[in-house]
Amino acid sequence: MVPSRKKKFWSKLYITYVRWWISRNFKEVNVQTFEPRPGHSVLLLSNHFSWWDGFIANWTAVFNLKKQYYVMMQQDQFDQRSYLRYIGAYSIQKASRAMLESLTYSAGILDQPDNLIVIFPQGELYSNHETHIHVEKGVYKLMQQVKGPCQVVYHCILIDYFESLKPRAYVHLFDLGVANELTFDQLKENINAAHQQALKNQINMEH
Amino acid sequence: MIRNQNNYFLNRIVHYYIKRIVRREFHELLFDNIPVDPNRSILLIANHFSFWDGLILYCINDTLLKKKLHVMILEETSRKEKFLKYVGAFSVKKDSKSIVQSLDYAAELLNDPANLVLMFPQGRLYANFVTNINFEKGVMRIIEKAEGNFQLLFASTFIQYFKHKKPTATVYLKNETGNYSGKDVTALQQAYQQHFEASKALQTEFDI
Repeated sequence: MVPSRKKKFWSKLYITYVRWWISRNFKEVNVQTFEPRPGHSVLLLSNHFSWWDGFIANWTAVFNLKKQYYVMMQQDQFDQRSYLRYIGAYSIQKASRAMLESLTYSAGILDQPDNLIVIFPQGELYSNHETHIHVEKGVYKLMQQVKGPCQVVYHCILIDYFESLKPRAYVHLFDLGVANELTFDQLKENINAAHQQALKNQINMEH
Repeated sequence: MIRNQNNYFLNRIVHYYIKRIVRREFHELLFDNIPVDPNRSILLIANHFSFWDGLILYCINDTLLKKKLHVMILEETSRKEKFLKYVGAFSVKKDSKSIVQSLDYAAELLNDPANLVLMFPQGRLYANFVTNINFEKGVMRIIEKAEGNFQLLFASTFIQYFKHKKPTATVYLKNETGNYSGKDVTALQQAYQQHFEASKALQTEFDI
């Protein structure tokens, strides 16, 4: 496992670039109002349907939740882009002993109330129209290890166009509970209830 | 009512412009291959969630259906996007007397087998995630007036990114054989709803 060496300067530069890049490809990133619990770090669970989700999650984390952004990357992808460690990436090896090390490291990050980790609990790409969110066990293993106060937030991105030519990304945020108080079944239940609510809200979205 | 205008020169310009922006905006355009009856016109009924769906169906008509496309659009849009009338857009003003005129015009167009009339009976933009499709009843007037001289097609469009930077538009086409003349709009709506739900289910099972 390779830990992150997040630097404020590179992170700032990177997010400025991301903002410019997203603004060029999307009409807007419409983040629905959400009040995070004060004094809690955030574990952001996002749906995964495209190449863009990570960047949109990064946008929400920095501009709306105002947290320090960290992200877990698979070792092979990390090796190709190891410079990303300066903006908050660290590596994880799936199905190995080193994975436990990565999870402990993640839990350590979440002990600081200022930090945020983005995870795609589905583990692979699914359709944006998917109605059921599949949750992999790894997320729960991580949640169990967190000692400090950490809020689990579901970050649902839905793409819609309406009047504009460029797509709009609608981000629906839901509080799922506190990391070390949730059971795995509760997590799955809450995340799916939140997803259903997001789909409902999207249909009634004003435009 | 603003009618479509025939102007070969402007039509070609707008035609290539539409083809170009669709090609530039989307990674890929996917659609079903369905048989087209050369002796009948086509009434194409589609879901409406963006400005793109008309343009996407325009491209599909160009490659697959190969008819002369006409599309019913709102009067405001027609005034704003003036170029659309050169590629077959005619306007409808909701809640006015001229609505009858527009609907009759659409029915008249269907008498010529070379024509295709594209309609969005939802009447306004809805989210792509919508679960219940709601049709306005104007479309029934067209169906009754045209007296079954047309092929009824359903189209449901979905736009998704999958693993690419640009989105992919998938259009599910269906040849609807039922006769809706003399029936209530709910019958048509239910038939469309079924097609829409089936398409959406296919869309979620897409192998990414």
